[in-house]
Amino acid sequence: MTQTPQTTPTSTEGTGRATSGRVPTRRAVVNRAPWILVSPFLILFLLTFVLPIVVAIGQSFTTVTRAGLFGEEGVTSRFAWFENYRLVLADGNFVDSIWRMLLFGIVQVPVMIVAATLLALLLESASARWPGVFRATYFMPYGIPGVIATILWSFLYVPGLSPIIDVSEALFGYTPDFLGAGTVLWSIANIVTWTYTGYNMLIIVAQLKAIPSELYEAARVDGAGPWRTAVSIQLPLIRPALVLTTVFSIIGTLQLFAEPQLLQTVSPAIDSQYTPNLSAYTTAFAYNDYNLAAAQSVLIALVAFVLSFAFLKLTNRSSR
Amino acid sequence: MRQVTRRELLGMGLTGGAAAVLAGCTTPGTTSVNAQPVVPAAASGEKVTLTYWAWLKDLQKVADIWNAKHPDVQVEVSWIQGGNDGGYQKLYSALAAGGGPDLAQVEMRTIPEFMLVNGLVDLRRYGIDEHEARFDPTLWSQVSYAGGVYGVPQDSGPTGLYHRPDLYEQAGVPVPTTWTQWAEVAPAIRDVGAYIDAFPLDDTSVFAGHAMQAGATWLRATEDGWVIDMAGEATLDVARFFDAAIDDDLVTTSTNPFTPGWYAAAAHDKIASLVGASWGDALLQSVSGSEGKWRVAPAPRWDHGYGSSFIGGSTAAVLANSAHPREAMEFAVWMTTSREGIDAMIEHSGIGWSPARDYIGASREGPSEYFGGQRYNTEVFQPASKDQNPDWQWWPITQQTFNILGDGFRRKATGGTLVDAVVAAEQQTIDVFRQKGLTIRKAEGR
Amino acid sequence: MTAAVSARTATARPDAPRAAEPDPAHDAGRGRPATTILVTGVLVVVAIYFLVPVYWVVVAATKTTDDLFGTNGFWFGDTFALFDNIGAVLTYDGGIFVRWLGNSVLYAGVGAVLATYLAAAGGYALAKYAFRGRNLIFGLVLGGVLVPGTATALPLFLLFSQLGLANTYASVLVPSLVSPFGFFLCRIYADSTVDQSLIEAARIDGAGELRIFHTIGLRIMTPALVTVLLFQIVGIWNNYFLPLVMLSDQDLYPITLGLNNWNSQTDRLPEFYELTTGGVLLSVIPLAVAMIVLQRFWRGGLTEGAVKA
Repeated sequence: MTQTPQTTPTSTEGTGRATSGRVPTRRAVVNRAPWILVSPFLILFLLTFVLPIVVAIGQSFTTVTRAGLFGEEGVTSRFAWFENYRLVLADGNFVDSIWRMLLFGIVQVPVMIVAATLLALLLESASARWPGVFRATYFMPYGIPGVIATILWSFLYVPGLSPIIDVSEALFGYTPDFLGAGTVLWSIANIVTWTYTGYNMLIIVAQLKAIPSELYEAARVDGAGPWRTAVSIQLPLIRPALVLTTVFSIIGTLQLFAEPQLLQTVSPAIDSQYTPNLSAYTTAFAYNDYNLAAAQSVLIALVAFVLSFAFLKLTNRSSR
Repeated sequence: MRQVTRRELLGMGLTGGAAAVLAGCTTPGTTSVNAQPVVPAAASGEKVTLTYWAWLKDLQKVADIWNAKHPDVQVEVSWIQGGNDGGYQKLYSALAAGGGPDLAQVEMRTIPEFMLVNGLVDLRRYGIDEHEARFDPTLWSQVSYAGGVYGVPQDSGPTGLYHRPDLYEQAGVPVPTTWTQWAEVAPAIRDVGAYIDAFPLDDTSVFAGHAMQAGATWLRATEDGWVIDMAGEATLDVARFFDAAIDDDLVTTSTNPFTPGWYAAAAHDKIASLVGASWGDALLQSVSGSEGKWRVAPAPRWDHGYGSSFIGGSTAAVLANSAHPREAMEFAVWMTTSREGIDAMIEHSGIGWSPARDYIGASREGPSEYFGGQRYNTEVFQPASKDQNPDWQWWPITQQTFNILGDGFRRKATGGTLVDAVVAAEQQTIDVFRQKGLTIRKAEGR
Repeated sequence: MTAAVSARTATARPDAPRAAEPDPAHDAGRGRPATTILVTGVLVVVAIYFLVPVYWVVVAATKTTDDLFGTNGFWFGDTFALFDNIGAVLTYDGGIFVRWLGNSVLYAGVGAVLATYLAAAGGYALAKYAFRGRNLIFGLVLGGVLVPGTATALPLFLLFSQLGLANTYASVLVPSLVSPFGFFLCRIYADSTVDQSLIEAARIDGAGELRIFHTIGLRIMTPALVTVLLFQIVGIWNNYFLPLVMLSDQDLYPITLGLNNWNSQTDRLPEFYELTTGGVLLSVIPLAVAMIVLQRFWRGGLTEGAVKA
């Protein structure tokens, strides 16, 4: 459609150097082309990322008051300044849920990344048999949606259904409680680890495969064993992959929703505000307070943004 | 077309943003359908299709009976998740989006919450009054608020004591008729490896049921606003009672009634009894190998209050965006008060206690094979349904109060008490009311 | 850029010949059977961990609800009800399960293909043209990568409900069309692989700008596009929060929402255990197979992102 441009040149600066009439037209096309290419993405991006955030910010500064027993005598909306934010931050359960996710992240993310790194190194070591089979097996859970993974694991957690509990009782006479107040967070961590370790491992494996074989050669000549090779060659070179997986894991942690929401039905320990997202969802659709929920959403986005940005800045600086 | 400059782009973003902010300021649920003109009945011969969202199973089969007789008013049922497990979230979000079904299953306790977001049609505007005499009066009062009627009672759940006579016999104790006696016999039940009941820390509707039976009324709607008496003496007594029962390990808190863990425990003879609603009878039959083992006795009584309580209870409510409120109401009234409607709902959907004043359902009049030939419905639940706290009312943030209370109850596991949770929940409920601009005060004399 | 180039060579290098040639890393430990047994043993134990839940659901799907609670979960029950259960899953409520599966395929398929195309066009434009506003756009989108999708879902619902879009196919599809990460990856990749001289040559041949993008740009960017596509497919397929917030009509549900719908009925209606385990089995098997097959494609492009991030 841009083969025969009809438009007259609008930019005059190009015509001076032009040797023929085609060139300025060409230039106009070149000027226009990036906008044609980028605008579909940009419009949708504005619609689905920027506008919602603007709407959320607008909602989060609004408050609705009702008169009468049910608001039958009138409903008014007004600008509330930071009242909603004050209420959200004064809500101990919501603040707790953010701390809970930080605790979860501090424990689960390193455990998962370390496990993924170890598995990747083992699979890429000479000592592993059938690395392809194992790699595929470990990666498989990534394709299972969090909802389905949670349904699967919940069957393994629930007393009476769980064969794990049965086996443990039969062998050790010990009844594990996967769904109690102190344990359920780590039961969720297990589901997340189960789902994403193989995925992270694969990213690291890809990075390991990119290490030039001359480096291994040199290490072997120097008499380095597998351990030395891992520490002084492999680990430093897979650093970018580790950064990437960590950032995605941090963002993932703050998004935690499906796992606790589903486990709620079998674990009394999970309350309606167990994670920040669950809290926002409950506030919006169980309490119908869209304004408070908007304030919560804005805070969640802010925390995720700040955390990942800080992490990226930190690692960028030290890698330079 | 010329090149768009960055400034223009920014301008576009800001304009769009400003428009969105303006649009965003209309918070969903802030306009009332009941202030708008009455929707006229469909002209005769006009085809009407009503949508109905409910979590009762096989409700379509009930609707089909109606559909066969009313070719012009067809009812289509969609299943949603039960209440706060996801069904209400769906309904609220559909309402906020300006849609939703004509009819929906809404629990009694949730009617005021839907009213708060202007989600329900006042059925008095469509002539529900002429049907009032066909419904149980205590249920009728639970759908009547602020001079209107906001739902058609569909079922309720008077409570009784489901129990295993064999386990009681093994423990050598009688089936309790009072809560005091209940606490006395519970240790003997523990000695035979069972629990006398499960106390749900997170589903506080059961606790509310106990308080209701003891004569408490947590909130009342009065002319000049809401009056709260949640942490009144009756409720605190019940809280103290169960604090002690949990501390003494008389009840289990690790699993809630009718959850997988509970079914498994019941199947392994680890649950000796359960104070539950009449609709528990169908659920009990899911306990594997339990046929003939269970019986029903009247619920234990407090020193004061009433013989029974109720847990659960639903309505068929007409939602605000319905295009045919009158037809929807007529179907709901047929379903809940006609003999064929009630019998079909019992047969296909296993509903709770019938809301009709004079008919409990044909299949409930005879002896039950599962309960070893006991006529438990006429023997226990029918009298129970007549001996309930008539003053109890629900309030616009029932679920939030229950969640707050449940969050407090969960702290029981880490050293908190139910009593503290009740006191704190009352204060938080007051705070939430005030945030919403609703008037509320504590009951006199406290 | 050197890191990107070396990563690209890793992508280009096919896996098979590499496995055939003697791997220096693999030589180091050869001839120590004890280590091999130990390492393989560890890998087997880990594999069991990853397989147990899937094994359990295979066993559970063969059981009636009675057996599910009554018999050991790690072994088959007395009755073999697999085909009854699968039949029930496929026929329940007029075959709603098949519809959910179809919806998931629609959301993930259409969404991912379009999202990849849009990200490619945008990323290419930013990499290959100097124009005002380019840095602003890139910064904005980079911010989008860091904002969790679930944080925007709720406001998006409020916005869509004002526009009358909530509870439609579009309400799930439209947000799925935007992949800030894909955009980011495509820009990086186009930057380092699409040669400016190729573009100039095409211009001299008289090709239009969009034609150049479609014939040259897309072809060269293919490895990155495969990554973005797979990423987006999995992302949409696994998404739960967005459809949960947006959809109230069961007929529009993707498989995740549908199965959750069944699972949440189990506490009232235990016969749903059979449907849930059967449905989980049916939805896990194609995914598990797909992951095992696709993992070799996966490896390629991801490194790019890793190197640049």
